[in-house]
Amino acid sequence: MTGWPLAEDAPNTADLAKCVHCGLCVNSCPTYAITGLEVESPRGRIHLARAVAEERIPLTETVQEHWELCLQCRACEAVCPSGVPYGQIMEKARAQLQAAPPSKSWGRTFRRLVLRQVIGRTRVLATLLAPVRFFARSPLRKLLRASGLLRFMGPIGLLEAQLGRPGRPFRPNNKHEEGDVALFTGCVMGELFGDVHRSTVRVLERSGTHVFAPRNQTCCGALSAHDGDLEEARRLARLNISAFEASSAKTILVNAAGCGAAMKEYGDLLEGDSKFAERAQAIAAKVLDFSEYLVGRTLPVGRLPAKVTYQDACHLAHAQGISTEPRTLLGAIEDCELVETDGADLCCGAAGIYSLLQPAMSAELRQRKALEFAKHKPDLIVTANPGCQMQYEAAIREAGIEARVLHLAEFLDEAQATSTRSP
Amino acid sequence: MSMSTKLLDELRNLVGSENLLHKPEDLLVYELDGTIDRALPEAVVFPANTEEVQGVVHACNTHEVPVTPRGAGTGLSGGAIPARQGVIVGTARMRRILNVDPLERTALVEPGAPNIQLSEIAAEHGLFYAPDPSSQKACTIGGNVAENAGGPHCLALGVTTNHVVGMEVVTASGELEWLGSYGPDSTGYDLRGLFIGSEGTLGIATKVAVRLLPIPETVVTLLAIFDDVEHASETVSAVIGAGLVPAALEMMDRVTLQAAEEGLRCGYPPNAGAVLLIELDGIEELVQEQVQEARAACNKHGATEIRTATEANERTQLWKGRKGAIGALGRIAPNYYLLDGVVPRSKLVETMGEVSRISQKYKFPVANVFHAGDGNLHPCLLFDERDEGSTAKVLEAGAEIMQVCVDAGGALTGEHGVGYEKNRFMPLLYSETDLENMRRVREIFGNSGTFNPCKVLPEGTGCGEMAHQKGALQAAGPEAYV
Ligand SMILES: Cc1cc2nc3c(=O)[nH]c(=O)nc-3n(C[C@H](O)[C@H](O)[C@H](O)COP(=O)(O)OP(=O)(O)OC[C@H]3O[C@@H](n4cnc5c(N)ncnc54)[C@H](O)[C@@H]3O)c2cc1C
Ligand code: SF4
Ligand code: SF4
Repeated sequence: MTGWPLAEDAPNTADLAKCVHCGLCVNSCPTYAITGLEVESPRGRIHLARAVAEERIPLTETVQEHWELCLQCRACEAVCPSGVPYGQIMEKARAQLQAAPPSKSWGRTFRRLVLRQVIGRTRVLATLLAPVRFFARSPLRKLLRASGLLRFMGPIGLLEAQLGRPGRPFRPNNKHEEGDVALFTGCVMGELFGDVHRSTVRVLERSGTHVFAPRNQTCCGALSAHDGDLEEARRLARLNISAFEASSAKTILVNAAGCGAAMKEYGDLLEGDSKFAERAQAIAAKVLDFSEYLVGRTLPVGRLPAKVTYQDACHLAHAQGISTEPRTLLGAIEDCELVETDGADLCCGAAGIYSLLQPAMSAELRQRKALEFAKHKPDLIVTANPGCQMQYEAAIREAGIEARVLHLAEFLDEAQATSTRSP
Repeated sequence: MSMSTKLLDELRNLVGSENLLHKPEDLLVYELDGTIDRALPEAVVFPANTEEVQGVVHACNTHEVPVTPRGAGTGLSGGAIPARQGVIVGTARMRRILNVDPLERTALVEPGAPNIQLSEIAAEHGLFYAPDPSSQKACTIGGNVAENAGGPHCLALGVTTNHVVGMEVVTASGELEWLGSYGPDSTGYDLRGLFIGSEGTLGIATKVAVRLLPIPETVVTLLAIFDDVEHASETVSAVIGAGLVPAALEMMDRVTLQAAEEGLRCGYPPNAGAVLLIELDGIEELVQEQVQEARAACNKHGATEIRTATEANERTQLWKGRKGAIGALGRIAPNYYLLDGVVPRSKLVETMGEVSRISQKYKFPVANVFHAGDGNLHPCLLFDERDEGSTAKVLEAGAEIMQVCVDAGGALTGEHGVGYEKNRFMPLLYSETDLENMRRVREIFGNSGTFNPCKVLPEGTGCGEMAHQKGALQAAGPEAYV
């Protein structure tokens, strides 16, 4: 007997039991750091899940609030000595909220609709984001900024601040292609961060790796999974698995931390699917982060005279355990001064769609980052995930800081290009 | 019993509604610390400063409602569990390092500051705070003071009481006092010393003045690997016998090593029977000499391999496993019951034998990880609380281990405190007169029985029912949540 409304996707009892409530994780948790409340800490959230599982309490609105304030940044999981798979527990806890939300809201229904019908459908997403790209580079944007109206536009204002200057989209080819190293292009990433993909391709080419983007791939499903819509996440995972299988790639490179983490865990996601479980594991085993792959290769000299700070993407540092590789790559660039800020590995508050759902907590974390930037005055802020890039755009804009936000691939591309031009 | 709305209103006025928790789900989160015992509070408050702490204590006293202080809730003896319900006073909002004086080598901190934060800030001045409990990433200075916490590096340097010079406290009766001084000497009775280790039964520390030490010039950590615990224990005696006082001398057995290696990938040999971590520090030449002596002792007593770490990152790697070892046990069993007995070093081998006999008798596997240098054992009995009756049985096994320690001329607890969990064993060590005197000490600080009740001293009725009262919330029914 358990108190979960959606039994087939209930948090695993053995996983919950792994938490020995030692409390060692609490200070790594951003929401605990800010609130000082154990109800907003990993140990607290796990204890509530256990209490629901054991039917000590029903799934209430209060429980929902504490779970929904969680960023799913997995900083807690990275420091937990007991190996509690917090990310999985929380995804499944969210799935319970999806199945039987204690407080029903339009927001939830709308969110699900957007995730399923827009983010998860490449064509729809492409059509809807085309005007966004146009707006980003149009005089209208300048006007709007000057008018000060954005401040009163809530989430729209925030999205505007997060929006950089997106270049052309980067989409997989329509032709069938095969090769050893495939690039995952993603959803929003391909539409709004085409420049990052193009930089990625150039940097890889310079290191002697030819990449191609297999057709029929789609969104990785991370946003849906984090939101507890595991059904949709599984649908997208299956599509990607088939697409990459058809490409016969031996390595799948991902340059968005959140997507990489999700794809490395396809095996867990499809564990219960007899047709896909093994294939999911096989594909997951081929997934590598861009920096993870690149660090073992010979690269041309790069030079970029600038003060640079690297900010860990949570799903790279905490979920994939990759934090030295990007720094090694940055450190190899000549004339570039690498500064470490306090809390570089603390979540920036972007966390997928969290910045829209929990604007207050997200803003608090964004401001913490801005304070560090103001203190260290970097010229370049480098990270490895599109959501984080957007959050830093907003951070520097709000705080009036002069700096550029770059993806690691863009940074390396620029450094290599500069050094080939000047002897 | 449910708390009067009048008291709730008073508390809300004192700390603000966002700093008062009283919904049943929220209270549930505060029913436990790092160990077995559980009890639900009726409210949790987070005062921002000394005045608010004083206000809260006064209000609770007026309403005769129990008060239980809480830091990070990493305690291992149920000290922060509200044994008779009432109000938990959390220090989470009082976590600033108020100042660091590099010339005097002191710092003044708020009680909710995490131990690690103090060390990090002190490091900016080339200083460090010596007591380093394995839980230092989370546990608070206030909790350390209350438990007189130790740590791997307390062998040569002493525990919390040797590093706290004074503190501001709100006593159980709500009085504001400063205990101790800033200087090394104070005349008269050592009330500071009395408060440290009083496990939150005399009052709430609201500011703590600590002593800092210069970071040593050279630090070397050795990892010595053995086939079994006996050889490792003999080495401990030999190292100390040779007149060495290592900064740290820690042992882990096979079960612990496997868990730590699996969980933390720190490079430990997973097939070894036992390892010793020996850390030596000081000026370069002396350290090198001591390293030679320590290596010789290890070799003489059957070490199969000795690794040496001199760089900070290598040392951190070796320590990572030790510091996470207890938590890592969660990988091999859902629950552990961690004991904290102390025995004379000469009785180490014998006591370990007894521990393993008791583990077999009760069929609870045991993992051993301990501060070998000062004979402070941490046998962890592994169990699953969901097995019917297992919690009661594991407590019984624990009691036998404690008896063994006391018989060996040792003590019930080295650093985790008596708390709720071990109070009934106090008569094993103390006469009725001793216990009565301790009760009087409490009264002097104004604790008439409602300030962190049921802790340290055995108490008659009214506390026993608290443990494992799982049904309490359920009994309230779903209506309680709307
Ligand atoms: C994995 C793990 C490893 C550990 N390793 C060690 C170790 O190596 N050495 C060691 O000594 N301990 C160790 N501990 C035990 C624990 O961390 C210490 O006892 C620590 O001092 C508790 O601090 P806390 O802030 O968590 O206090 P809590 O658990 O919140 O409270 C502990 C006690 O302190 C009281 N208290 C809290 N704050 C105050 C205050 N401001 N004024 C007065 N009383 C107060 C509480 O009422 C309670 O009685 C370990 C625990 C864990 C989980
Ligand atoms: S999640 Fe891990 S670190 Fe946190 S309390 Fe549980 S066991 Fe300890
Ligand atoms: S995932 Fe992040 S926000 Fe959520 S509990 Fe863990 S550390 Fe806290």
